[in-house]
Amino acid sequence: MAEKLLEVRDLVLYFRTSKGVVQAVDHVDLNMDRDDALAVIGESGCGKTSFIRAILRLLPRNVHTYSGSVVLLDSDIMKLSDERFRTQVRWQQMSMVAQAAMNALNPVLKVGDQVSEPLIVHRGIPKKQALAQAAEVFRLVGVPAEFLDRYSFELSGGMRQRAILAMSLITQPNLVILDEPTSALDMLTQANIMNVLKSIKRDLQQSFIFITHDVSTTSELADRGVVMYAGHIVEISNAEQFFLNPFHPYSQKLMASVPTLKEKKELEFIPGTPPSLINPPTGCRFAARCHRRFEACDQEPPMFSLEDGRQVKCWLYK
Amino acid sequence: MEPREITVDKTMSAETTPGGSEGSLVPNKKRGQRALRSLKRFGRYTAVRIITLFCTVVVGIYLAILVANMGGFVDKILEGQIIEQVGGEIMANDQLRQLSFEERESWRDARVATLMAMRGLDRPFIIRSFEHLKNAITLNLGRATFIASDSGSKEVKRIILERLPITMVLFTTGSVVVFIIALFGALVLSRRYGSAVDRIVVALAPTSTAPAWFYGLFLILIFAFIFKVLPSGGMLGNSIPETPLAYALTVMKHMILPLAAWVISRVFLAIYTWRTFFLIHSSEDYVELAKAKGLRNRALERRYILRPTLPAVITAFTFILITSWQGAIVTETVFKWPGLGQLYFRAVGAFDTPVIVGTIVIFAYLLAITVFCLDIVYALIDPRVKLGKEGSQ
Amino acid sequence: MGRIKNFFATLKRYPTSIVSLVIITVLVVISAATLISIPYGEARELWKTSSQAWEDWPKYAAPAWTNLFRSAENKLPETIIVETNGVEPILVEPVGNSGAARTTIELPFDYPYNIHPSEIGLTFETVSGEQPIATVTWITPDGREFEIYDSVLKKRRHAVSKDRALTRMLGAQPIYGLFADPEDPVEILKPGTEATPFQGTYTLRVEALNFTEESKVDVKLVVYGRVAGLAGTDHYRRNLLVGLLWGTPVALMFGILAAVGSTTLTFLIAAVGVWFGGWVDALIQRIVEVNSMLPVLPILIMLGIFYTPSIMLTLGAVILLNIFSLAVKTNRAIFLQVKNSPYIEAARAYGASGTRIVFRYMIPKVAPILIPAFVTLTPGYVFLEAALAFLGVGDISLPTWGKILNNAQTEGALLRGQFYWVLEPAFMLLLTTLAFAMLGFALDRIFNPRLRGI
Repeated sequence: MAEKLLEVRDLVLYFRTSKGVVQAVDHVDLNMDRDDALAVIGESGCGKTSFIRAILRLLPRNVHTYSGSVVLLDSDIMKLSDERFRTQVRWQQMSMVAQAAMNALNPVLKVGDQVSEPLIVHRGIPKKQALAQAAEVFRLVGVPAEFLDRYSFELSGGMRQRAILAMSLITQPNLVILDEPTSALDMLTQANIMNVLKSIKRDLQQSFIFITHDVSTTSELADRGVVMYAGHIVEISNAEQFFLNPFHPYSQKLMASVPTLKEKKELEFIPGTPPSLINPPTGCRFAARCHRRFEACDQEPPMFSLEDGRQVKCWLYK
Repeated sequence: MEPREITVDKTMSAETTPGGSEGSLVPNKKRGQRALRSLKRFGRYTAVRIITLFCTVVVGIYLAILVANMGGFVDKILEGQIIEQVGGEIMANDQLRQLSFEERESWRDARVATLMAMRGLDRPFIIRSFEHLKNAITLNLGRATFIASDSGSKEVKRIILERLPITMVLFTTGSVVVFIIALFGALVLSRRYGSAVDRIVVALAPTSTAPAWFYGLFLILIFAFIFKVLPSGGMLGNSIPETPLAYALTVMKHMILPLAAWVISRVFLAIYTWRTFFLIHSSEDYVELAKAKGLRNRALERRYILRPTLPAVITAFTFILITSWQGAIVTETVFKWPGLGQLYFRAVGAFDTPVIVGTIVIFAYLLAITVFCLDIVYALIDPRVKLGKEGSQ
Repeated sequence: MGRIKNFFATLKRYPTSIVSLVIITVLVVISAATLISIPYGEARELWKTSSQAWEDWPKYAAPAWTNLFRSAENKLPETIIVETNGVEPILVEPVGNSGAARTTIELPFDYPYNIHPSEIGLTFETVSGEQPIATVTWITPDGREFEIYDSVLKKRRHAVSKDRALTRMLGAQPIYGLFADPEDPVEILKPGTEATPFQGTYTLRVEALNFTEESKVDVKLVVYGRVAGLAGTDHYRRNLLVGLLWGTPVALMFGILAAVGSTTLTFLIAAVGVWFGGWVDALIQRIVEVNSMLPVLPILIMLGIFYTPSIMLTLGAVILLNIFSLAVKTNRAIFLQVKNSPYIEAARAYGASGTRIVFRYMIPKVAPILIPAFVTLTPGYVFLEAALAFLGVGDISLPTWGKILNNAQTEGALLRGQFYWVLEPAFMLLLTTLAFAMLGFALDRIFNPRLRGI
């Protein structure tokens, strides 16, 4: 049942810094269905973290511009006041798993108290019951229930990540957003977390957006892939086609730089560095590093819609 | 790309504590064992702290004794005073004046020796210094050389104990007031970063470089001499109040200006420091996550900002308290507040070593006790200290 | 060069720091000018209570400019001085044959004030030869004469206003009696009445009987006012401006040297501890702990009173007591963090020597933290020096702001309404310390990476 979950239109997030205005999220559009797992891929500094912060309204103090519309199910959450956003959206409809969960747990509160906190705060559920539900979610993610009674420093890195994951699931929100859920972990733990996410997606029909710069690990989990570059979304497609046959030159280069198990492959790299977001170049932002650029690239291309719901922001696909 | 499924659930169990069971909440016996372990650990920690602090106090007091006696110089002064005094005795006594020169000399020497023995000056200083140390540590503070308490006693302990509460009442109240205002203000400001109030407080923070006695001068000038509404000094005014209530009211009236001077000289920096500290702390990952979870501001402040920073906050409070006692001397002089600071100053001016050393001893003990209480509270509220790094990591 | 320009550009974002820099520059200029025009030795001489330099200045005088704020009737009198030196005598009568002569000089002066003077005094300077006999007569505007001195000159100075015989003769203290209104003598002669002085031109007639031709005497009359100078005077007639000016270099020098000295030494001690580790580090930690138990001010007071050290010795003691402070622990934590950081490891791996690592890597990384500390700690030390002087401890013959406050306190300046005595040094203290404090805060925001953006 492909029901529309999220519709982002013209989202803008600029930051004020001492060196100028950073145009981190620059008029971004995105659609997402229920039960989808959406992977947002891009290199450091491309704006993907800012993008989800814009959706989650987790803004720092130096915001310059913040506008656009984010329609979650039926309502535009951008129009809500901070207080209503807090009571209606935060953790009720959208939750988050932070990057590097090492420090995401309060060191002076017990883990169980923190995991059950959203239930107590948002649903008014009494503590004992909330803890019982926390134990349930812990079982789901594979953490023994006795750790509810511990403090965060008593848990290993993998445990903490699972605990954070459990915390994000406990209110059964419509959307869970994960910021690089596995990048701080070793390979074994990465695989474990991936398995947990897969089973949750399968058993709970949970929708995800997750950010990553590691293409290979997301291939198992994502239904659709979104590539961001320099504050723009440059390609949207479903996962299988994306990994097998990317369209945008940047995506192609990304794929070419990932080693595969079966084939013998000469790894490629992309020369140069991404442009500064303070004075982004006019025209296509990837043009300077693109191996297929031509004259039209001096103009910024629009998003072209192709078959199978794929979209590419590149003149090659006009 | 073929997906790889690695089942590593077996290895996961290595990360749990030995004997951990899955699925059920912790049984009581386990809890009891853990509590006992943490108690033992706590006891060890306390014992270590007491011994360390005690050693520090001992060394500190010994140094103070050395300095207070200037390595024996004060003894020379006292000796000189004795000789002078004996000379005066001879002059005043007709009988003695009539003795021959040699007889007078021998009488004088004998008398000087007696007086010196009375004061204990006949033995070399180094040996006496250790005796002083032993006495000091056991709070056997002896008798003052010159100063007497209000009730006429010359016992150093009594003299000091008479003055100690007077100092404490003023400075402890001041510290508590500053602490409360600063904490409350800092929390409010950390929510209103960049607002007008915030900028005003930040601009006013440098006013705390001026010490309390400095503001005291201005306050006395304005309120006691220009507007003539408050007393310019002292604690009790000109007449002794009759009833306890009148007593309390007079003391409070006299406390207004010194307290105000104290608070003004500390409060803006304190608010600024903690507001900055809370702001920096707010960028911690778990605080951001708590915000994302949609907690109410009150709950966020209580559980995610104050609770984790409680050790730092308490340390800061202790610091405020300790520095308040140190700054007491000048402030008490300006306000003629009859406390320990003024006593100390008089004692130094009179070369009254027992009182000097006694005051420093009391101060050192107070300091050590405060630091000790701080450590205990630290251990109680910070689970990392209480439990040690027990558990899986 | 570029970095310095960069630095000033950043500093401009904090307007208070620009104001501070201006103030500090002004203070430094004042210090330099003062040190040049009134060198140390001269300053001590001037400030001595036995100094003759101030004998013509009134005691407890308010600053002269305060008269601007007073109405015409309430203006405080300024000091009036007339002397015979250089004035032609109106009469010279030779007496006898041995060259003796009686010289008569008249010195007129106006007294236009509504308030009586604070004191009246005569100074006699015998130029050479035997002591002459002098008769000094006070002539009021309406011609009444009072003999205020008539004898062989024995002392150099004669306090007319304290002359008991004169008081008995006038029926009132001379400052009132000599200025009495002839119309209303009874009322006026009561001491402390609200009388106004009789205004007009007074004349002092000096008749000196010189025994030899060479002997000569100069007589000076000082009618002491109640305002003087830019800053007023204290109980020893000293111009407070000297104290205020001289206090500037003392305060700056003490504050800056103490701040820089203690911060640098603490830094070095922490570095040594971290670098050598082992028992050196442990020893330093123990010393820090003991030091934290010792109260600084009480010990300084003890040292000050027992030894009365010069200000440099006090400075040394202050630094010594502060270098093992808890700041060592903070510095040590930073050093440890740097020492164990990956790039130091990398430097060791490529074979860099210990010296190179310390001087090229560790110190430049940690040193920027020192700079705000120099500035921020200075005011505290300025106040420390002021506190010690205020208590009367330490170098008591040096004219500093704290000493002025000390004098004011012991003389009960506030009780007498001599607010300027307290306000002037307090103002200088406030100005200096606020300037450093504001600058220090701005520097802290610039150099402390954790405070960026806050």
